[in-house]
Amino acid sequence: MQLLNEKAAILIVDNEKNLCQSIKLLLEKENYKVNFVETGEEGIKQGTLSEFDVVLIEMKLPDLDGLKVLKEIKSIHPNSICFIITSEPSYDSAIEATRLGAFGYIPKPFSPDELLRRIEQGLEHRLLIIEANRLKKEREENLLEVASEKSRLNTIIKSISDGVLVINRSEEFVYYNYAALKILDLYELKIGDYANKILPEKILILVNKIFNSEKILLKTFTTQIELKPNSELVIEAACTPIPHPDGSIAGVVVVLSNITTFKKIELIKSQFISMVAHELKAPVAAVQGYLNILLNPDIEISIEQEKDYLARSVTRLNGLIDLVNDLLDISKMELKTKQREIENIKLDEIIFGTVKLLEIELKKKNIIVETYIHSGFPIIKADLNEMNRLILNLLSNAIKYNNENGKIFIHGFELHNYAIIKIQDTGIGMTAEEKSKLFNEFYRVKNEKTRLIAGTGLGLTIVKRIIDSYHGKIEVDSEAGTGTTFTISLPINNN
Amino acid sequence: MVNPKKILLVDDDIDLLEQNKVLLESKGFKVITAEKGEEGWKLFQKEKPDAAVIDLIMEQMDSGFVLCHRIKKTELGKRIPVYILTSATYDTGFKFSASTKEEKEWIKCDGILNKPIVLEDLIDRLDNFVSPGNN
Repeated sequence: MQLLNEKAAILIVDNEKNLCQSIKLLLEKENYKVNFVETGEEGIKQGTLSEFDVVLIEMKLPDLDGLKVLKEIKSIHPNSICFIITSEPSYDSAIEATRLGAFGYIPKPFSPDELLRRIEQGLEHRLLIIEANRLKKEREENLLEVASEKSRLNTIIKSISDGVLVINRSEEFVYYNYAALKILDLYELKIGDYANKILPEKILILVNKIFNSEKILLKTFTTQIELKPNSELVIEAACTPIPHPDGSIAGVVVVLSNITTFKKIELIKSQFISMVAHELKAPVAAVQGYLNILLNPDIEISIEQEKDYLARSVTRLNGLIDLVNDLLDISKMELKTKQREIENIKLDEIIFGTVKLLEIELKKKNIIVETYIHSGFPIIKADLNEMNRLILNLLSNAIKYNNENGKIFIHGFELHNYAIIKIQDTGIGMTAEEKSKLFNEFYRVKNEKTRLIAGTGLGLTIVKRIIDSYHGKIEVDSEAGTGTTFTISLPINNN
Repeated sequence: MVNPKKILLVDDDIDLLEQNKVLLESKGFKVITAEKGEEGWKLFQKEKPDAAVIDLIMEQMDSGFVLCHRIKKTELGKRIPVYILTSATYDTGFKFSASTKEEKEWIKCDGILNKPIVLEDLIDRLDNFVSPGNN
């Protein structure tokens, strides 16, 4: 736009050559850049091709009506300042010129000063128009930006899984997202609904605390709420004040997070810890009890009793060591599932190796193992230590809970892309109730027949965890008095 | 002691059972023991003890509560002190005591003892026990 340059550009459309020349000289003296053309055609051509700051148009041109030239130029460059000059001024033509967008109507003859004054006025006006247009454009762009920013934030808040609610000083809802409705189990919520009819008591207390505090509390208050009984839905609500620019509190934003899973894990963890503590304490307390009796001068016991108490103490301490080892294994498994070394494993080799390892225990109870590995028993990808542990735990259970002169049958085969191992014993078996608790931590079948069997109660927990980590399956089939069969399935194409 | 008091001990931990037996015997009590609820119930009927101490957590459905309840339903059971022995309070952190009248009514036992037994405490309780029938 030439206006922004040093020289304003002026176009003169007039067939009076002499007049044009003198105007040109006059204007160039005032530091304007001047073009002049003699015909209407040429005027339209130049005036539309580039935007002149000011255009002076003679109404009566040899080829065209000056108003036509004005109309054409204005249609392309509405901000060009156009003057109609004429030696035959009329009221009607002046009105028509103004209607078509002329800035001024100058009757001939005019003095140079008058012309300059009118041109200056026109340029000032053009400056204002351009500035106004610039501001308008800027504002429109800003509005567009604000609008898209707002919708972006809106989209983000609407998509997050945490519930978000905003409450104003009148304790009405002014904003919410769908997650909030879902968490609060509401079908709908209207802007302007009162919070006290909808929100749980515990959240309202915090909201009131923020609104009613004497000092402005710019911190977040949280509370945990059980929305459905038995910890089926537990949420955490975080209430944060929204400060007003004047220093007061404009409202409160409440963020609702579903912490049910977290609570469940927390509960399992604390239950596990108390169980572990209980299981660790029992053997220690037993040994302590025996030692106290042995050291107590007021208690008379026989040599046989003394020997028995010491032997019992050793048994309990051995059990304690086993328990600690199992616990360490479990924690290793939980921490290092990603660090396992996956290699090609021949499960049949592991089975034969484990049977050999347990030879002494088998001989003690005179148990015979019959192993049937079917042809095509697959090689799987797994961690060697874990597979050894898996087979060892299952086989030692089959020995421990077997009868004297009993049998153990092991079958290995492939079925539907799974490696299947069945370990069947002819032992004491289990009742349905005992079976249902089998994989619980520290669960051990307790009856007349098992009272002398040592164990930590973690063996099958470890087995199950190993199998689960390979996306496998374990099934138990058992009947009290006849024996138990464990069937494990491990996927062959395991990564 | 001319006529030693007979105490029934029921606990599924055979080591604690043996230890408590020896300890109580050293104080002059006669002790009979059972590892399971059912066995304890039979022994109670047969031996007619002067007191019973029953472990709270026993497997096979017959928890200490069930046995305690059965004993307290009998004529003899109403006259003798029956204590429940537990390590639950300490180990699991869950509060467990019969403090109010209603709770005592419901639980039916004469007191809850924490493991390990403080022998003096138990003997104190047994000495001071006044059976409801003697009131």
